[in-house]
Amino acid sequence: MVLGSDAPSSGGTIIGFVSTAERARPPVRVTTDRAVCGATVPDEGLIVDSNGRVANAVVTVVGVQARAPAEVLVSNERCRFVPHVAWIRPGGVVKVTNKDPGTVLHTTHAVTLDGKDLFNVALPIQNMVLTQSSGTRSGPLKLTCETHTWMRGWLFVSNELSAVTGADGTFRLEHVPAGAREVRVWHEELRSPTQKVVVEEGGTVSVTFTLRR
Amino acid sequence: MSKTRHRYGAGCLEALGRRGFGSPQRFRADRVVRRPVRLLGHAALAAAIGASGAAPLAQEAAPRTIPEMWTAWCARCHGADGRGRVAEPTLTVQPRDFTDCRRATTEPDADWALATAKGGPAVGLSAQMPAFGAALTAAQIDGFVAHMRRFCTEPDWPDGNLNLPRPIFTEKAFPEDELVVTPMTTHGGGERHWTGVLTLEKRIGKRAQLEVTQPLESVVVDGRRSRGFGDLELGFKYVLNPRRHNHLAAAGIDVRTPTGSSSEGLGAGEARVEPYLATASAFGLTYVQSQVKLELPRNRPWADRVAVYRVSLGRDLSLTPRAWTVGLELTGENDALALVPQVRKGISPSGALAGAFGVSLPVNHSDEQGRTWVAYVLWEYLEPVFWRRR
Repeated sequence: MVLGSDAPSSGGTIIGFVSTAERARPPVRVTTDRAVCGATVPDEGLIVDSNGRVANAVVTVVGVQARAPAEVLVSNERCRFVPHVAWIRPGGVVKVTNKDPGTVLHTTHAVTLDGKDLFNVALPIQNMVLTQSSGTRSGPLKLTCETHTWMRGWLFVSNELSAVTGADGTFRLEHVPAGAREVRVWHEELRSPTQKVVVEEGGTVSVTFTLRR
Repeated sequence: MSKTRHRYGAGCLEALGRRGFGSPQRFRADRVVRRPVRLLGHAALAAAIGASGAAPLAQEAAPRTIPEMWTAWCARCHGADGRGRVAEPTLTVQPRDFTDCRRATTEPDADWALATAKGGPAVGLSAQMPAFGAALTAAQIDGFVAHMRRFCTEPDWPDGNLNLPRPIFTEKAFPEDELVVTPMTTHGGGERHWTGVLTLEKRIGKRAQLEVTQPLESVVVDGRRSRGFGDLELGFKYVLNPRRHNHLAAAGIDVRTPTGSSSEGLGAGEARVEPYLATASAFGLTYVQSQVKLELPRNRPWADRVAVYRVSLGRDLSLTPRAWTVGLELTGENDALALVPQVRKGISPSGALAGAFGVSLPVNHSDEQGRTWVAYVLWEYLEPVFWRRR
């Protein structure tokens, strides 16, 4: 692996955005605890704005190691996981908390994509904070809740240089070592092929991804 | 040939008996040393997380008693009545029906406490059961276990805390639904003898158990090896004091039928009636089980009687269904004594499959008893061996 952002004065920058022609889906109907969760919640499986820009996609520079966030706080708020997607390093600290009232029981259940359960903790008390580990394996970790089955969150566990797109679909990857690089995108529902770029020292190169089924 | 001294051939099984270890670790919940679980009081909790404390209104609405917590947190999956059925299930597995006394009472409090505190996988069950340990004190977890126990409303089911790990030879006092395979081998008289025993135990009602045992033998008698089925045995056991929670006693009777060929040394050649008493006591993670039995052959019952007495001391090394249990049995037949050091382990995550291994070492009459290596594998056939995860 090549070291990335540990050397702040070197490398180049990769910027861009992630978009899709797919349309956002209608809100999900809430089936329980409506007093707290509301009647509906947005379908966060695909968050796309009017320009087709996709939020919560994770763009990664393949083979470039970076100092991934060591700790992430995942909050259960109004029956949604906040943030919906977070980048964290393997063996990182995952703090989970419940911001909803104690009459609403949330559980935060982390499962790998191949079905291995990492943890499932109950959060019956408002504002209690529990500490778990993101596990040793790289890859996306799915978060679910046993009592609110529409809830979905993701922890992108990786040591590679990554960025999560915001609401406007853009991303910025800095201190990428110069040379030919592969850039990959992950989204919980859609796909796009890996792209190749050439990064120049001190330069900026742009990449866009168009996600499809 | 002396019937009592043989540790092989016709004497092997009858001399040593074939009782085995039972279900996963069992101990008194109130003696259990638990992992620390802490409930921060509301004020302390707010202080622990820093500035963003909860709105006072939300805290006042939080449930406080065990029944309130059950309604707010547990009933949505387990049901208000503990049956595990709700109108709009959010799980893909069916929680255990706590009103089913037959299934609920065989389990010790500690297994339920472990599942509550650490989640389903800690006892080999689905990960859809989350861990509540960080939100509850040990006293509250005990309170939840007591709450769940009350869903079974029928009295006289023996207490699962006395469903102790099955010793290799000493009969368990607790009735069981299980299948046990017990292979053993003895070296005696310059020859090696083998026995494999299949035991099927089935509970009848609350306190009784029926049992069928069939050995398969490979023995050398008078220099000649014979192989075949040994004597079929039928047994009945009845718990005498089902309402006690620290000591259990059962009375039973085994009838050995002369189905094995005695001319080939595979069977005793006559029927035998064997009444016995078995006890079980638990002191935290340490168990004491005992059995006294009288074996009365049909022809000369009193003259040829054999007094059998066994004591088993066992200790669980950890708190899970897959724990190691170490044990030492003292077995005696008339005046022939043997010590049987042994280990036992739950194999499957739920403990429904378990195995044990030990060796019977003669204390006296070594030439007649011989040294016997013995093992068993047991399967509690009412329990799932592997729970399908989501």
